[in-house]
Amino acid sequence: MESGLTSLLSVSIDFETSHLFFPRIIHWLMGGLFALVLVLRVLPFFAAVRRGERTLPILGESMDKFRFFGSLALIAGYFYLMAVVGNLFPYTGYGFLFVSIVFVFLMSLMYMHTRTTRKVVTAAINAIVAPSLAWFILAKLFQITLP
Amino acid sequence: MLDILSLLDISFFLLAALGALIGIIFGAIPGMTATMAVAVCLPLTYALGLHHGLALLLGLYVGGISGGMVPAVLLNIPGTPSSITTTFDGYPMAQRGEGERALRVSVVASVVGGLVSAAILFLFAPLLAEFSIKFSYVEKFLIILLALTVIASMSRNMLVGIFSGVIGIWLSLIGTYSISDGGNGKTRLMFDFLEPYLFEGFSLLPVLIGIFGIATILLEAEDGVKSGLSGKEIKIGKGGGFSFGIFKGRLTNLVRSSFIGTFVGMLPGVGGSAASVLAYTQEKNLSRDSSEMGKGAPQGLIASESANNALTGGALIPLLSLGIPGDSTTAVLIGAFTLQGIQVGPLFIPENADTWYVMMTALVFANVVMFFLMFYAIKHIAKVVLVPQYILYPIIVMMCVVGAYAINYGIMFDVWTLLIFGVLGYLIQKVGLEVAPLIIGFILGGQAEVYFVKSLESFGTYSIFFTKSPIAVVLWLLIAASVAFSVAMGLKSHVKRRLETSQ
Repeated sequence: MESGLTSLLSVSIDFETSHLFFPRIIHWLMGGLFALVLVLRVLPFFAAVRRGERTLPILGESMDKFRFFGSLALIAGYFYLMAVVGNLFPYTGYGFLFVSIVFVFLMSLMYMHTRTTRKVVTAAINAIVAPSLAWFILAKLFQITLP
Repeated sequence: MLDILSLLDISFFLLAALGALIGIIFGAIPGMTATMAVAVCLPLTYALGLHHGLALLLGLYVGGISGGMVPAVLLNIPGTPSSITTTFDGYPMAQRGEGERALRVSVVASVVGGLVSAAILFLFAPLLAEFSIKFSYVEKFLIILLALTVIASMSRNMLVGIFSGVIGIWLSLIGTYSISDGGNGKTRLMFDFLEPYLFEGFSLLPVLIGIFGIATILLEAEDGVKSGLSGKEIKIGKGGGFSFGIFKGRLTNLVRSSFIGTFVGMLPGVGGSAASVLAYTQEKNLSRDSSEMGKGAPQGLIASESANNALTGGALIPLLSLGIPGDSTTAVLIGAFTLQGIQVGPLFIPENADTWYVMMTALVFANVVMFFLMFYAIKHIAKVVLVPQYILYPIIVMMCVVGAYAINYGIMFDVWTLLIFGVLGYLIQKVGLEVAPLIIGFILGGQAEVYFVKSLESFGTYSIFFTKSPIAVVLWLLIAASVAFSVAMGLKSHVKRRLETSQ
């Protein structure tokens, strides 16, 4: 019995595949926990949704679609264009500077609920000043690489 | 000792003060947290040396936690999660026109909490580090396991907490099993075409900045970026009404809450709200007259704010002695250390004595600056709660980009990591998984693997985790205790809910 337990617990790890040893354990653990979460939490939750007591996250909630997907699209476009413009002026950080000005202004406009001239002007000033300041301090004073 | 004095120049103190000021502003803006302040300001430290960078970051940390009291008192919105209990008594006071008095009581309580916890950190961290130096891989692995169980048991639901932690570990394993850690340098958990980008896995800081910065913006955007605050009237009240006499007879409360805050801060991954809630309920249970609490009693503010500021020192204890972050802000600090080429762990304090004293100086100084800034300039600082979101959020996204891009000297993939983890962080919070265990799992996962595999490679049996040393047994007992505690709490709330529904 004793030796049976010892041999059960003994383990040898082949160096060639040692990079897969721990991930395999984690996969089993994740799978097991997922099954438990599914049975104990998710299924009761779906049952509650069906009874109309709860709502589905994201899908069943009211959301500001324009601002949410707008933010996602703006951020993705910002990241993409930054690299593109940055490649036109390598090692200057202009890609960051120019694209940031446009991005900050557009995002400000999108998040405003009522657009008055005063607010738009504030946003425009902010959009020019903030990226310029960040660019100046980081790229010029501190010599930090920017796109 | 003279060496250390030479490290402390004027710019060191200016940076700590600047950090405290920016931190207070971040903390004061609802939705912005101390973690975000530290994450967003990280790029500023790239160009600074280690000590100056630490001064700035610790200032941000202390300021960020304290700033949360401002909207809590004035608007009934906790600026950071840990000021939730400050709203209970602060807001009623503000409505009576005692806003400034409430804020000043909170400021005094905060600085006491901060300094008490700094003192405990100073005394306790080196001891813990010295003790843990003798730990072998087996004990180190068990410490990580303990950290993860504690975090999970503090989550709303333990099972979900553990699951989130394991997902975090899984994410950290993407990339190579690094040769420098004794691995074989092969990649796993990804497709071949991703190898150029993910050879070393996801970088820690872009992941953290994404989860804490971009995800917050997405959550706010989904809500439509409410501009509701600007219409709200702020009642700060007339000056005066504050005297240190308020603290007469409140010393026990002050000290007890500071200790509670420090202790809760030490537990890895437990957020600030647990500390202030615990201190608040303790004051309610133990004080002679708690009938006024919740209606605007200074004693509630004292309990809440001293506990939440005491978190700062507490959370640094496991970070500096074991390399395990005490909360999400210190998790970002780990990134800052790594950036400067410093490995935090048991050897950190003995090997970097200068840095250790410099950190303590910065921490104490940041608390003092925070006190003077908030005590005398609170009226002006209070106005930042009205800065509109449409100005702030774009700037935050911009700063996140700088932080992520510059971290590895200009890698665009790190910027995309921001978006990936921003969206992931958003989804995680939406489906009800827990962010804190996930982050801690992500940070500690790599080390957990190395310690686990090394232990098995050297001893060749799983039983070593139980039989290695008495410390291993104690650690298992602690793990069992934290699981039992969580199960007991879960059952208790379950029974309570049953009783409530049956009534």
